[in-house]
Amino acid sequence: MLASLFALLIFPAGLFVLVNGLAYHWIDRKLVARLQNRVGPRWFQPAADMVKLLANEEVLPTGVDARLFTALPVVALAGALAAMIYLPIAGLPPLYNFPGDLIVAVYLLSLLTLCTGLAGAISKDRFSIIGATRALTQLFSYEAPFLLALLGPAFAAGSWQINEIMAYTSSQWLILTQPVGFVVALIGLMGKLEMAPFDTPEAETEIVAGAMTEYSGRGLALFLLGREVELVGGLTLIAAFYLGGINNPFDYALKTLVLLLGVAGVQTLMTRLRIDQVVGLWWRYGALLALGQWLLLLGQRMGT
Amino acid sequence: MNALEQAQDILAAWVQAWHTPEDNRFDAQVAPADLISTVQALDDHGWGYLVAITGLDHGAEAGEMEVLYHFCRGAAVLTLRVAIARGQAAVPSVCAIIPYASVFERELAEMLGVEVYGTPDPSRLFLPDDWPEAVYPLRKDAELD
Amino acid sequence: MSKEQFTIPIGPQHPALKEPGHFTLTVDGEVVTGASVRLGYAHRGIEKAVESRNWVQDLYLLERICGICSHIHATAYCLGVEKLAGVTAPPRAQAIRVLVAELERIHSHLLWLGVAAHQAGFDTLFMYSWRDRETVMEVLEQLTGNRVNYSANLLGGVKFDVDTRVLETILSGLDFLETRTHHYLDIVSGDRIFLQRTRGIGMMTSEQAERLGVTGPTARASGVRRDIRVDAPYAAYDRYPIQVVVETTGDLEARFIVRLKELLETYHLIRTLLDGLPEGDLKTRMPRRIAAGETISRVEAPRGELFYFIKSDGGDQPARIKVRTPTLSNMASVTQLAVGHQLADMPMLLTGIDPCFSCNDRLTTVQTSGESETWTWEKLRQYGIASYRERG
Repeated sequence: MLASLFALLIFPAGLFVLVNGLAYHWIDRKLVARLQNRVGPRWFQPAADMVKLLANEEVLPTGVDARLFTALPVVALAGALAAMIYLPIAGLPPLYNFPGDLIVAVYLLSLLTLCTGLAGAISKDRFSIIGATRALTQLFSYEAPFLLALLGPAFAAGSWQINEIMAYTSSQWLILTQPVGFVVALIGLMGKLEMAPFDTPEAETEIVAGAMTEYSGRGLALFLLGREVELVGGLTLIAAFYLGGINNPFDYALKTLVLLLGVAGVQTLMTRLRIDQVVGLWWRYGALLALGQWLLLLGQRMGT
Repeated sequence: MNALEQAQDILAAWVQAWHTPEDNRFDAQVAPADLISTVQALDDHGWGYLVAITGLDHGAEAGEMEVLYHFCRGAAVLTLRVAIARGQAAVPSVCAIIPYASVFERELAEMLGVEVYGTPDPSRLFLPDDWPEAVYPLRKDAELD
Repeated sequence: MSKEQFTIPIGPQHPALKEPGHFTLTVDGEVVTGASVRLGYAHRGIEKAVESRNWVQDLYLLERICGICSHIHATAYCLGVEKLAGVTAPPRAQAIRVLVAELERIHSHLLWLGVAAHQAGFDTLFMYSWRDRETVMEVLEQLTGNRVNYSANLLGGVKFDVDTRVLETILSGLDFLETRTHHYLDIVSGDRIFLQRTRGIGMMTSEQAERLGVTGPTARASGVRRDIRVDAPYAAYDRYPIQVVVETTGDLEARFIVRLKELLETYHLIRTLLDGLPEGDLKTRMPRRIAAGETISRVEAPRGELFYFIKSDGGDQPARIKVRTPTLSNMASVTQLAVGHQLADMPMLLTGIDPCFSCNDRLTTVQTSGESETWTWEKLRQYGIASYRERG
């Protein structure tokens, strides 16, 4: 009992991931800033932002369902945190596992976007509704390729269980045999996290803050924390599957940070895509490439 | 024939008086009723483009206002001067010929109280929504405090 | 989303607008079906205010119409008033006016490049172009003492000279900016993802451009060859001719290219100008009262043709000054072109004309309940203090 509580509140799911998320968020911001020739924030800035937001008054817009409005950020964060239990956070083997936990983890990681979309849709604000529409549209476009990209390693390992896939990928770097899957997975993660150039759902210059426009204080803080947790979870999953597994804390830090550098680079290099361009990109290229990769693997397996 | 001589030719039928204030400029006095025909004639001949509409208030004593339509072509500036009575300040809209004149006409109407009849959008452009009716800030006798 | 019609307010306060304006967009899903504009949020009543100040005071007031193209407003005014007074500023003064105007153009175009990139969500270009813009800002500061509102003009001349030290700063600054501008030209015409947001967007043919009354770089990007610096040279532009940059495609990409190529022209012009800067006085005497008459002064501001109509009745104050800023003329094109475009294109489309709302809006009124009145600064200040005290 105590051990489960510890797992949920401190490590791997609770406090540790939150701190880790804030740190990675800072590194991401700092990297983007340096790449853009800016100074960037100081190390405690994301944490300070959180403290400020949590202390701020939470404004409830008139006409919204108050219970749903306050519950959604909690569900979003809880979903993201719950996914961590199945992931090799900090290079330690996942705490819990069962056959098919990969699907559960991916599902839990999608919960954040679903909650964002729902939050925007109930906010009764024009910018929120457009933001929500875009968030959900984007969800439908990257989710399938992202899943296909994660199924590639699962297929190669012949298992749907994260630690068994890891055992398989530790012996070989799948980025070499399935490069397409790796790229699709990493870009898919950026879409999930609404990072530039996939930040259409919260395109500041068009729709202010998108679905989050009406959120303030605690609700906004929880959503943002959820996103940071997902950043950690997503990077862990991709590193574990494609970069030769994660075997110890050092391995974990190195591989996820290399991925983060790549993510920051893409953010710096690209112009925001329009929503129709996002959908086009994913279905025309992302999904087909991932599917092609998958069929290739299938062919290989049949062949051997 | 330079641009201004051409303009003179085009407008000969309507112009009441010519005046050359400076090099490359021509001021043509036009009756309010002839404004549309003159602008149409300029447009038909493709002479220049409307650059601005200036409203001039000559004060309560003179009892007269003028609306100036400035057309430019290269360095040449042709100004159509339309004199109107201050009491019934009104000019026809030229938007049917020059669509972008709409913003100029909206500004003229709210700032100087010149009624522009036929203008497609008579709503306010610059003044606040709760600005009092019939207070026209650019008139010489406007009381603003 | 359903087929329901939806209006989206952009402004008066909106992250896409760096200044207040109000656009109402009707959208169907992501597609804009209608647009209208309301201005005046930065209206300061300058056209009225100039009628109660003397000719010299007005110079400083008019220079504050715009924070970005301040010098060009003052130049248009000075040239007009000098014409009325029958005075011509000395050649060196005219050349320095052109020099500051062109440096201002560099600052304005680079600022625009950054804003436009930010609207597209390409913040890297935004950051880099604004970093490079600092070069010209520093040049301007060294030359005039100010980063904006240079106050270079006097009625009858200019206030300062160009010394050799500043000359070197300008020339080395230009060399740096020239390489950077070439680099940006490569980006805006070569970056495929950026081109997705600019190529074929906001198309305006030259006929449309003429019908919509657009001016400046926006018009030149649609193939309308119109530039007051060439059509009706003022100040010293007859001595330092420029090439008019025209593109014919008429989309957002062309507006980027025209502005960047204009920068290259400007660098060239400044070098020629500094090479043969005429010797002589910086100013001539101006009478305090200006002879009665009316004049028109047209100059090429960074955003397009700036038009001044100045009327004097022989006193020490103008009888009327009418300012037609390029943005007002360009505004009609935004509401017209918006229809049929994606919502995501709106910030870009608006920025495409390089709008300057302060230029457009020239009155401070404070609204409390239903009534509106013009408040003095002191009253406003007291109101602010009292209001915060009440809130605690």
